[in-house]
Amino acid sequence: MNQGKSLNLREIVVMSSISVVFGILYLGWIFFGQFMQGITGPVGWGLLTGFWIMAGIICAYIIRKPGVAFAAQLIAAGTEILVGSVNAGVVLLLGVTQGIGAELAFALFLYRSYKLPVLMLAGMFGTFANFITTYVVYGYSQYSSLVIGLMLATMLISGAVLAGWGSKKVADSLSQTGVLDNFALGKLHRKQRVERHVANQD
Amino acid sequence: MLDEYQRKQRFLQQVNPTLKLISILLVIVFMIMVFDPWTPLVLLLITLSVLSVFGGVSVRFLMLVLLPFSLFAFSFVWINVVFPDERGETVLFSIAGLPVAKENLLTGISLGLRSLVFASWSLLFILTTEPSKLMLSLIQNCKLPPRFGYGMMAAYRFLPLFRKELQQIRAAHRIRGLGEPRSLKEKLRQTKRYMIPLMASAIRKSERVAVAMESKGFDGSRERSFYRVVPWTKFDLIFSVGFLTLLGTLLFVRNHLLV
Repeated sequence: MNQGKSLNLREIVVMSSISVVFGILYLGWIFFGQFMQGITGPVGWGLLTGFWIMAGIICAYIIRKPGVAFAAQLIAAGTEILVGSVNAGVVLLLGVTQGIGAELAFALFLYRSYKLPVLMLAGMFGTFANFITTYVVYGYSQYSSLVIGLMLATMLISGAVLAGWGSKKVADSLSQTGVLDNFALGKLHRKQRVERHVANQD
Repeated sequence: MLDEYQRKQRFLQQVNPTLKLISILLVIVFMIMVFDPWTPLVLLLITLSVLSVFGGVSVRFLMLVLLPFSLFAFSFVWINVVFPDERGETVLFSIAGLPVAKENLLTGISLGLRSLVFASWSLLFILTTEPSKLMLSLIQNCKLPPRFGYGMMAAYRFLPLFRKELQQIRAAHRIRGLGEPRSLKEKLRQTKRYMIPLMASAIRKSERVAVAMESKGFDGSRERSFYRVVPWTKFDLIFSVGFLTLLGTLLFVRNHLLV
């Protein structure tokens, strides 16, 4: 198998189709989120934001190569637009910034560690990037700092729990089905299984 | 519904997708600087009329799409009235003991209208751009690596399949005696039960497609010919000039006539 750092076509298509699935879910989540924001304001919205980082983190966790988190976020955003998001411009912008955010966390660990804390950090970086973007684009500077602070706090929690822990859960259960056997995560899990098996025999 | 508008041969449909994408980002940058309610209102009305005149989109359809979005826009108004950064001086009236200041109300309306401007400009892009034309334009005009471009197009083509697959999974689960969920907890568990098989089959399909593409000689290199070429035309020139004039005029009127 190609052990290089660049993505091969198989990885690109699989990454794209995972991101396309999430792109549709993202779009549904926006309607849910806008409904929540209409009622509870930016704080309820904050708790939901982590979901929008999941595509990037799941793909990075599965494929484990540089640039995957960013590309996956961008594709998911692109899908949202192609399927018909009424907010295409901002969605695209958010796709870019959230992708950079999540990617940054993996880059900090030199793309070597994909353990739960790293995934959580990636989620938090992602939601933080989302916060900065919406802050500038939608003019949140006009709101009181209490609301903004609460919103940031809920977003970071959501990034760690929903995006970090949630993504790991989804990817691990996907790996159990065996479809990821040709990818970094599947190979790792298989190696662990074999080692456990050998250890039991001794 | 969408592709009915995307395939029309009107002016906006002929403009290069990349150019339209750039114009959206420029609108966002432009609107970030604006906090008065009039500029977004004017831009919103102009965008909607351009879309219906040069894009052939019916006004009724536009209203129908923007209606749910206005709930989101309205949330900006009330948040600004209830939790403003600095409460304005001119108190108009009060709701349940909370004073409502004119300044905060105006800023709120401005931010709400701003989100509607983004939405209308995004509609202008979505309703007049075919997805595959956008991809081809990104590959040909923006130097997106073909490996990514065609990989994404292949994945995008799975979309209608996913819906069929979801129905299949649902039917399969029902046959095995898993009923409809009643509580929220059951609903969550059901979502997981649907998601994992759906994604697993998506991954399997994409692997097969990738292998098929490579076996037919797709190597992702840039030296390739295209069945459909997305060129730069005179429509792009007209669109750019019109767009820049619009932003320029708005900027001029704002700075010189309103102050």
